[in-house]
Amino acid sequence: MSGIARKVTRYFASFMLIAVINFTLPRLMPGDPIKNLIGEDVYISEKMMEELRLELGLNMPLSEQFASYLSDLLHLDLGHSYHLHAPVAEILLNKMEWTLLFVGISVVIGSLLGGFLGALAGWKPKKKVSRLTSFAFVVISCIPPYFLALLTLYLFAFKLGLFPSKGFYDTPEIGSVLHHLFLPTCVMSVFSASRNFLVMRGSVIQEKEQLYALYARAKGLHDTGILFRHIIKNASLPIITLLALDFGFLFSGALFIEIVFSLNGMGLLIYDAIMGKDYPLLQGAFLVIAFTALLANMLADLLYALIDPRVRRPA
Amino acid sequence: MKSHASSTLLEVRDLEVSFQGIETVTVLSGISFSIRESETLALVGETGCGKSVVAHTIMHLLPPESRVKGAVEFKGKNLLGLNEKEMTKIRGKEIAIIFQDPSLALNPVYSIGHQLAEPLRVHQKEKKKAALSRAAIALKCMSFENFSECINYYPSWCSGGMNQRFLIAASTMLNPALLIADEPSKGLDKKCVAELETELKKLKVERKTSLLLISHDLGFVQRLANRIAVMYAGEIIELADSSSVFEKPLHPYTRGLLNSLPEKGFIPIPGFSPPLNSPPLGCRFHPRCPLREKYCIQVHPELKEIDGRAVRCFLYP
Amino acid sequence: MSQSACIEGSCMKEACVEENSEKRQEKPGFKLFGEVSFRSFRKHESSLALFNWISILLFTFFLFMAFFPSSLAPYAPEERFIPYEAPSGRHLLGTNDIGNDILSELVFGARISITVGFAAALISTLIGTVLGLCAGYFRGVLDELLMGFTDVVLVIPKIPLIIVLGAFLRPSIWILILVLGLLSWESTARVTRSKALQLREAGYVKSAQCMGFSPYHIMTSDIFPNIIHVLLPKFMLAIASAMISEASLSFLGLGDISLKSWGIMLSFAFFRGGFIRDMWWWYMPPGICITFCVLSIALVGFGLEAKEKEYSEEGANIS
Repeated sequence: MSGIARKVTRYFASFMLIAVINFTLPRLMPGDPIKNLIGEDVYISEKMMEELRLELGLNMPLSEQFASYLSDLLHLDLGHSYHLHAPVAEILLNKMEWTLLFVGISVVIGSLLGGFLGALAGWKPKKKVSRLTSFAFVVISCIPPYFLALLTLYLFAFKLGLFPSKGFYDTPEIGSVLHHLFLPTCVMSVFSASRNFLVMRGSVIQEKEQLYALYARAKGLHDTGILFRHIIKNASLPIITLLALDFGFLFSGALFIEIVFSLNGMGLLIYDAIMGKDYPLLQGAFLVIAFTALLANMLADLLYALIDPRVRRPA
Repeated sequence: MKSHASSTLLEVRDLEVSFQGIETVTVLSGISFSIRESETLALVGETGCGKSVVAHTIMHLLPPESRVKGAVEFKGKNLLGLNEKEMTKIRGKEIAIIFQDPSLALNPVYSIGHQLAEPLRVHQKEKKKAALSRAAIALKCMSFENFSECINYYPSWCSGGMNQRFLIAASTMLNPALLIADEPSKGLDKKCVAELETELKKLKVERKTSLLLISHDLGFVQRLANRIAVMYAGEIIELADSSSVFEKPLHPYTRGLLNSLPEKGFIPIPGFSPPLNSPPLGCRFHPRCPLREKYCIQVHPELKEIDGRAVRCFLYP
Repeated sequence: MSQSACIEGSCMKEACVEENSEKRQEKPGFKLFGEVSFRSFRKHESSLALFNWISILLFTFFLFMAFFPSSLAPYAPEERFIPYEAPSGRHLLGTNDIGNDILSELVFGARISITVGFAAALISTLIGTVLGLCAGYFRGVLDELLMGFTDVVLVIPKIPLIIVLGAFLRPSIWILILVLGLLSWESTARVTRSKALQLREAGYVKSAQCMGFSPYHIMTSDIFPNIIHVLLPKFMLAIASAMISEASLSFLGLGDISLKSWGIMLSFAFFRGGFIRDMWWWYMPPGICITFCVLSIALVGFGLEAKEKEYSEEGANIS
């Protein structure tokens, strides 16, 4: 099977697997499937329940249910949240914007920072600075993300009062938004940076030993010239793959940070849904996150192919 | 061995290189030779005798745990005394090197054109477009018909032979006075070796480049070199011009090498090369020498000059 | 969590290289001259050795805390005293909102956190090894299938899945362990696969095949013992990664409340007023413990990895 066909099959299989998991979960769980599909602690009359049962098609055979579920998915209908009295897709979309903004900026800053520092550390690994930074980042990567968020919140918001401790903004202006987002973005970027740092460092150390690095030196390139002109492009290939694999992790980490900082994004939404047992919302969130992770993987593959010519064949 | 007539381009005197680690290993001892302008000197020997170390020492490409003694003079300047920044001005511009694995020496993620243009951009600060077009012209001179396509190729798309020629083009973009070729014919099939020879000959004739050819392929060397230096266990044991070495080899090792050629009967030299961390006492070749005497086991021979040749053997006191 | 994969990040480059093995050619390390590589002359760094020893000591300390909590904890963790007490002579770390001594909770929590990490890592390492061995040894269609399966399953983000599951079912430690274990075997599988691919070409494997031994026998007695030194660091790093994930999930209230791990302690501290009341003695110690425990495990894992690289390099050099 050619490379592309193989990849496409795998993505399709992932897509189907996620959809299947999401479909079977509420139907497998103990208890009345209706409860599992609409959430607990929702007070509706018996008559409504019967209507819902018909509407959700719980009386149909499984295969038909799955087919209708798939068609719903393709129409971007993720069900209805009875706790929040709105379609799940709508709710998620609203909150997603903020979360994506927050995650996006942090990941970009983190990758660039971590990648740059990691490359320098990998280039001169024996220097004191490199060793110190490496150790610092290893320690950071061992801290649970929300704990670091807690500490930062405590120090900068409560004790020093430099930053606000709640919400995305007091007034919907750029200044206020930036002020509120500063600390969480810092924390998130530091985490993103820590893993990029370690991978880039390892990658550069490996690439340093390659013959083309020696040849670059033989051509008269100097020190960091070799690093930035030759090694970095090769060394960043694993980072791209990493960002893709990582996306699920990063997104989940962001959720925790949002909860700690009381940011009004998906994090709090999911937390409330857990507490309130709003199953449709949780399922919808899972679907959305999983699909975004899938998308990230596809993007990374594309990016990889663009950068690494060994994957492409000559025209 | 000092030479006369046209000026000396590179002179290596009493070069001694050792690597420090858990134990210190002396890899080269007493290496002395010189290369004139437009001359081709070949460094021949078995794998592990230190030929590549000579090349790396000249270019200052040795790892940090190396210790170098002796002198390497290029156009009168002592290369060993230069610091890294000064050395970068010489590398690629005045002395260039090509390695034995061309597909690995070229960076896999940059196009051929980019890598050929790089010396121009780094040393002569040329603009990208101008450099690329000069790279294209260089490829054309190397008789690549589809040179405009080759510019956009990547090393992984091309064969080893093509990559070797690209490597030569990249190294000679700035017309270096000296080109060091470290086992250029290794791993190439006969046709590629023939193409390689043509390229190197062109360099010699058209651009008057001096060549330090490091190889263990005697046939290849015979066709290209003016003079040959034979190395064994980190020392030069014979140094003479090409025809003398092939017609009348003096050192028993050289004779053994020639006998091991397919044309002469494939007779191998018995035994193995000695490990460099514990070379034999006395003459380093004595354990494998059919002509050894008691003297050879105890005393280490010096390089003696006879009739414009040099040899390190007690057969010629 | 982002940093749980970071822990495995050092091995990630290997994993990435493997994943793109069809894209990346084999690159032999550049040897300077002949067979004698100067790498074998590198002096061993004394500061690194110091690090190794510290991390091993730290890890042993935490293990001791997990196995023999009663010897370190002053009280039983369920005993109730006056709540919201600050640190004092009787309660070195004060008491929480229902009056339990925090230090005792901390010590007993080690057992839970480490067990979850260990169990999840065990599951993921086992699955990864079996799949990797089979894929690497049999190659061909089975390899494609297994690696494809790996790719497909591991796109699914663990934390959201556990969140959904945890919301449906009663929060239980077994769900945590199972899901963490069942979704983390990718990097182990890749490493085992690449090693198996290498080792199957070895002489003793070929001769065993000629002698007619069954593939199962060859895999268990010839290939597997040579993989252990690669698996061990991966296992350690998996423990670290699982512990962080557990801490995060417990924070959301998805851990088992009856079994107080460090993560649950942190969660209680935050959500039951410990933070607002500025009770640093409540929320700092569990967080610090998690960090240091994970750090020690990760460092031990890195140390083992470095040792393994050293041995494999020297082995290649001696030839």
